[in-house]
Amino acid sequence: MVGLTCSDTSSLVVDKLCDMAGQRNIAVSCFYVDFAAREEQTPTNILGSLLKQIVGGLEKVPDEISRTFQDYKKVIGGRGLRVGEIVKMLQTVTSLKPTFICVDALDECVERHRPEVLDSLRQILGESPNTRIFLTGRRHIRGELETHLSGKAVVLCIKPNSDDIVGYVRMRLSKDTSLRANDSGLEDEIIKSFTENIPET
Amino acid sequence: MSMPVTDNINSFNVYNVSNHYTLAEDRSEILTWLSPLEPRIRHQDLRTRRADNVGEWLLEIDEFKRWCDGAQREGPDHAILFCCGGPGVGKTYLR
Repeated sequence: MVGLTCSDTSSLVVDKLCDMAGQRNIAVSCFYVDFAAREEQTPTNILGSLLKQIVGGLEKVPDEISRTFQDYKKVIGGRGLRVGEIVKMLQTVTSLKPTFICVDALDECVERHRPEVLDSLRQILGESPNTRIFLTGRRHIRGELETHLSGKAVVLCIKPNSDDIVGYVRMRLSKDTSLRANDSGLEDEIIKSFTENIPET
Repeated sequence: MSMPVTDNINSFNVYNVSNHYTLAEDRSEILTWLSPLEPRIRHQDLRTRRADNVGEWLLEIDEFKRWCDGAQREGPDHAILFCCGGPGVGKTYLR
């Protein structure tokens, strides 16, 4: 992995938001979609995780949630939530304070699940205008985003710039024990060959 | 006269403590019920492996600042920021 990958971007943004949360009363919630974990990363679990992080940051679990939990606990050994129920709860908790929701690598979400996740995010925004959503993914899902999010997303195309690449290569080389520590000539040469080959995408 | 009062205070305390415990247990049980997944672990992993200062420029550009600072002011039109990467961004590049 080099330079700025989607996941690096997301983790950077989440870190920045967490720093902000230390100074301002905001909530931050993130999810990293991973195709390899697609079995467990259902819309219910993705949205449930986002909800869990926000609820975890509250002093008290909202009554609506604890009441449903107590009711559901009594039947069939504990009934789980449906997406619609989670979305309603998310609408409630995101209205309590400005909330930042980050979802990384949406393109890795199983195709048939994506509309449900995107529609849910739109529904949350509809009820809770102080919510901000950060998404990353490959370019090919842009059309889907426009359809399901009513074309509201500001699109930013990222590519590694030369500073990112130089920073990354230096970090990797500094950890490479086989390279002589003071061989800066070699390091410069490696960096030069990389930066000369950054594709114009 | 003093005994029953003391008893009352004690029983009140006991009630409070047990109630408090129930809430704490419930809280963690509720959070697991909401989702068994733990995205913070993946975040911590990425945070540790990310090179210093990589991508910092992103946090400085107008689109990001407007999205980030505008939670109260900008309204729903700036609510969503989508960062997309092409095939040139990611694992396959420079391997």
